[in-house]
Amino acid sequence: MRMLLGLVLVPAVAAGAVDFHTHVRPILERSCYPCHGPKAQMHGLRLDSRAAAEKGGESGVSALHLIYRYISGQDKDIKMPPGKLLPADDIAAIKQWLDDGAHYSGEAVASAAPEDEKFVRGRKHWAFQPRAVAIPPHVKRPAWARNPIDAFVLAKLEAKGWTPSPQAEPRDLLRRVYFDLTGLPPTIAEQNAFLSAPTPAALDKLIGELMERPAYAERWARHWLDVVRYAESNGYERDGVKPNAWKYRDYVIHAFAEDKPFNRFLTEQIAGDELDDVSADTLIATGFHRLGPWDDEPADPATDRFDQLDDVISTTSQAFLGLTIGCARCHNHKFEPLTAADYYSMVAIFRGLERPRSGRTELDLPVGTRAELDRETARDAEMAPFRKQIGKLEAPYRAKGKGWQEQVPAEVKEQIAELRAKIEAYRRATPDLPRGYFLHERKAPELSHILLRGKPGALGPEVQPAVPAILVKQQPPFTASSRTSGRRLSFARWLASPENPLTARVIVNRVWMWHFGEGLVRTPSDFGLMGQKPTHPELLDWLATRFVEEGWSLKKLHRLILTSNTWRMSKALRPDYQAADPENRLLWRMPYKRLEVEAIRDSVLAVSGKLNAKMHGPSVFPPIPPQALEGSSDPDKIWKPSSAEDAARRSIYVFPKRSLIVPMFDALDLCDTARSAAQRMTTTVPTQALTLFNGDFVNEQARYLAGRLHREAPDSEEARITLAYRLVLARKPTSEEMGAMRSFLAKDPSRGLEQIARVMFNLNEFVYVD
Amino acid sequence: MSINRRNFFFRAAGGFASLPLLDLLLRGQAVKQPHFAAKAKRVVFFFMNGAPSHIDTFDPKPALTRFDGTPYKGSLTVGSNARPVGYLMRSPFEFQKHGQSGLEISSLFPHTAKFADDLCVIRSMYTDTAAHASGCLQMNTGAVLLGKPAMGAWLSYGLGTENENLPSFVVMTDPRGGPISGASNWTSGFMPAAYQGTLFRATGAPLLDLSTPEGLDTTAQRRSLDLLQSLNQSHLKSHNNEDDLSARIHSYELAYRMQTAAASTVDLSKESEATLDLYGIHNQRTADFGRKCLITRRLLENGVRFVQLYSGGGHIEDTWDGHNDCITNHKTHAGETDQPIAALMADLKRTGLWKDTLLIWGGEFGRTPTSEGVGKPGRDHNWYGFSMWLAGGGVKGGQVIGATDEIGFEAVEDRCHVSDLHATILHLMGLDHTKLTYFYSGLNQRLTGVRGNVVKKVLA
Repeated sequence: MRMLLGLVLVPAVAAGAVDFHTHVRPILERSCYPCHGPKAQMHGLRLDSRAAAEKGGESGVSALHLIYRYISGQDKDIKMPPGKLLPADDIAAIKQWLDDGAHYSGEAVASAAPEDEKFVRGRKHWAFQPRAVAIPPHVKRPAWARNPIDAFVLAKLEAKGWTPSPQAEPRDLLRRVYFDLTGLPPTIAEQNAFLSAPTPAALDKLIGELMERPAYAERWARHWLDVVRYAESNGYERDGVKPNAWKYRDYVIHAFAEDKPFNRFLTEQIAGDELDDVSADTLIATGFHRLGPWDDEPADPATDRFDQLDDVISTTSQAFLGLTIGCARCHNHKFEPLTAADYYSMVAIFRGLERPRSGRTELDLPVGTRAELDRETARDAEMAPFRKQIGKLEAPYRAKGKGWQEQVPAEVKEQIAELRAKIEAYRRATPDLPRGYFLHERKAPELSHILLRGKPGALGPEVQPAVPAILVKQQPPFTASSRTSGRRLSFARWLASPENPLTARVIVNRVWMWHFGEGLVRTPSDFGLMGQKPTHPELLDWLATRFVEEGWSLKKLHRLILTSNTWRMSKALRPDYQAADPENRLLWRMPYKRLEVEAIRDSVLAVSGKLNAKMHGPSVFPPIPPQALEGSSDPDKIWKPSSAEDAARRSIYVFPKRSLIVPMFDALDLCDTARSAAQRMTTTVPTQALTLFNGDFVNEQARYLAGRLHREAPDSEEARITLAYRLVLARKPTSEEMGAMRSFLAKDPSRGLEQIARVMFNLNEFVYVD
Repeated sequence: MSINRRNFFFRAAGGFASLPLLDLLLRGQAVKQPHFAAKAKRVVFFFMNGAPSHIDTFDPKPALTRFDGTPYKGSLTVGSNARPVGYLMRSPFEFQKHGQSGLEISSLFPHTAKFADDLCVIRSMYTDTAAHASGCLQMNTGAVLLGKPAMGAWLSYGLGTENENLPSFVVMTDPRGGPISGASNWTSGFMPAAYQGTLFRATGAPLLDLSTPEGLDTTAQRRSLDLLQSLNQSHLKSHNNEDDLSARIHSYELAYRMQTAAASTVDLSKESEATLDLYGIHNQRTADFGRKCLITRRLLENGVRFVQLYSGGGHIEDTWDGHNDCITNHKTHAGETDQPIAALMADLKRTGLWKDTLLIWGGEFGRTPTSEGVGKPGRDHNWYGFSMWLAGGGVKGGQVIGATDEIGFEAVEDRCHVSDLHATILHLMGLDHTKLTYFYSGLNQRLTGVRGNVVKKVLA
């Protein structure tokens, strides 16, 4: 009806006859400027100059593009002016003016809208600047600086007249380095090896050795899995298993083990399918895009499509750029210099990705090199006619329903068998490729538009693939290959390029956080205006530059950090420093942080002697108390426990199920699996004490440890207690402790040792490494 | 963005923490002031899992009698998942006016009906999804997408806890199973785990790992705990009384006290026979939910902030999801819950908790006015319109708000989105839904997202 009015009345104003001052400005002044003019700018929009109108409001879309849509009543949700549409003549006049090019002829140019303060600040924001050339500062105590990290840290302390904490005791360093790099405690032999000659050089050597262990890769892969919202089920009603998703976990473990350069690591995850040297690994790496929750029964499929893309974009931008660009989906970011146009340009980059599915079932796909994949495709094409023939032969009998196989005549059966044999021959000649869970570009990406208010039906202007404008002077090239749009590969190249100010800083900061508990930037996935400023900006830049220069090697970065005196400082609390700098922003000591639940669980298993070191493969299901299953809609089916042996594997191999997290993991602050997690939280609540003190897992392992103590120290009570201390805490008991333990044992000789083991697994000293 | 512990302090306390509060703050749960005077201090949410039919419970549709057996001719998509669509179907349940207000309630709820003048029925609810998983998530966490904190977590975050010996957000599920999406319905999402809902059992040990391990008596348990604490104390002394270490020591003491406190809430041996009868605990049909309702009263008395009780668990007919036979289904589930719910209302009135306890009844959406399949007694999912009721602290009872259309398909008058309900609940609890925010991932997140208006008519 309204559309019709507009159409009918447009001719009432002759083409070209609309003059801004005579016809349009009075309408705008009367009906628009009160809310979008010099005095008020509702939703950030100002219409009294062309520049301001073009800039648009919070939607990030030029108002010139939107005015007609809103005043004509075409938009379902927004009708302007609110309450009452303009008279048809006015609408027609504005339409004509817009069609003529929307000239604000002779308008007061001075009224151009001031630029949004976010963008002004954004252009100067530290994280968006190229890395500074940082030179390690001169310090008064150069001897303390084992490497440049120490110089940066010491300089800040000296400026305050402070001194760094002394080096930690050898035993503390020993436990610290084992937990940091492997998430497991040192065995007694390993304790002896280091503690017999605990020199700095011996520790340097140990660092190198530990990084070569599988346990290192398992520990550090888990850190990365937090960032990529890793879980092996989709959540929602059916919480379906993601087929072969565990191969992504194994890919990450391999990547850490072989020290895959981080720029290559990120490229494989973002665009492993677009590389020239595609392999099973690079395809599995793009599982990164597919690890998020997936509702197989979405309320609105169109919205769901963009929810899926949002999951990918939000994860990618937080993981690699430390930006919360997901907030620019419905309008320009409220706090950051990121626009809806930036967001939808990212959508354009990832638009080619879509989940392969058959109804509500997700499909996995073959993995291999291009040649292998092509061979399988060709084979399948050759096999297809035989399959089709089988289908045709079977069709009339299938129609008979259940038991149809019985009714197939012998000669037809024979024909089918022959055809099957042919197919089998093909499969023998070209065996099926293994399968993986990932996304790749299957068809050219559709056009992308800004979606007004984030609504799939409300198309704004078209956008091209582009990176957030605030980060670049010039957009990087987005170049297609003969096979794919090349958008993600171009994006990955830009991420890892010298022009990108963020990627290296963000990963270096994460690694720092995983070693120290806190990053140099304490908001590891938010480097924007709302994020925290780095405590040591020069150090961060120096580390990032060095990291890039050394080939994006994480192991070299670990070595650099762990060989510093900064990392070797004691955790001892200095009340005077604590009072002045309670957050330890100056790094006057090594801070305490409770071990992650995985490290706690794995260490209990290691100490009890039950840890199964088997690596890789499908995930396992340790037993869950039946009470914990009561919250599930399928308590009988949801969790089939693995064998005791499998259940004793490292926690990274425990099946991460979105609707049922293992209760011990849940209680002890496992990260949220719905979204990228920047950092493990540490809460301290009584249910954790219940889990660790009363729960089946710890009590069972305590029995095993007691058994081990009897076996390995059969001679005396003292020997058993000493062994327990060495296994759990990597030290001998003091005489007071020995006394306390012995009098405890005296009261309950039969179960005493088991109780001691239980108590020791609960000690603060066990879960807070010195 | 993540919350480091210092940030967490800051948010928890709205400023720097004083030392005596430290242990509570580490848990992030010190009692906090609401934004304005609260009408209610605690919430009981009777979650009718699976989606009850409003047309058969609180939204009588005489017109359906007229149209009974005729096809639906409107423009809404009927039901979910391409299930068979039958004809319009009248409610087989008789509606009567109750109380002075004359509130109309179906014969499914004879006990609840006695409290008609206390109920505020919103007949114009609507939501964004017709699927259980996302519908439950929306009702519980405000979003159809996974990973947002549940309403109980928001309240724990906003108001803290009154009793550190018990969890502040308690969930009791149906013996047939939990809701679809399980723990995602009571998660703390991106907030610290301290705010998450805790599963509570009505029999045996109410909390996971609450019991002393098998073979140990209380003395042995205490002896082991004493050993642990003495070792931890000397460790603490040699570590300059680090806050984290001392908080963890305290948490073990709390856990020990929780063993007694939580266990005593499920020990009904001191309740009178009359009380047990009132809740229907001696009647097999009502025993389970009755027990839970009685335990709920005891939890509320002990300072628990938010109790969520699920009626129905698992799938389809084990829940209120009456696809096959809505009539039998609703008789079963209403029959199990009606008397216990009414008993709790009576008991709350008796104990005086009524005036500041908010009660909420409802499911994740409603059901269609059409049958599922011709001549079949089932009803399919309906997200365009459904009913919920509120009662208790701050709620104006004996009234109906909003209306669905003639056949009960779509909310048409005073439409109330789930986010409006959430805004209203927070308002009754003294919280402004636009100000109760948690900064995460670049946004000041809210329970209500960018939506939500307080439904003023609800307020007494």
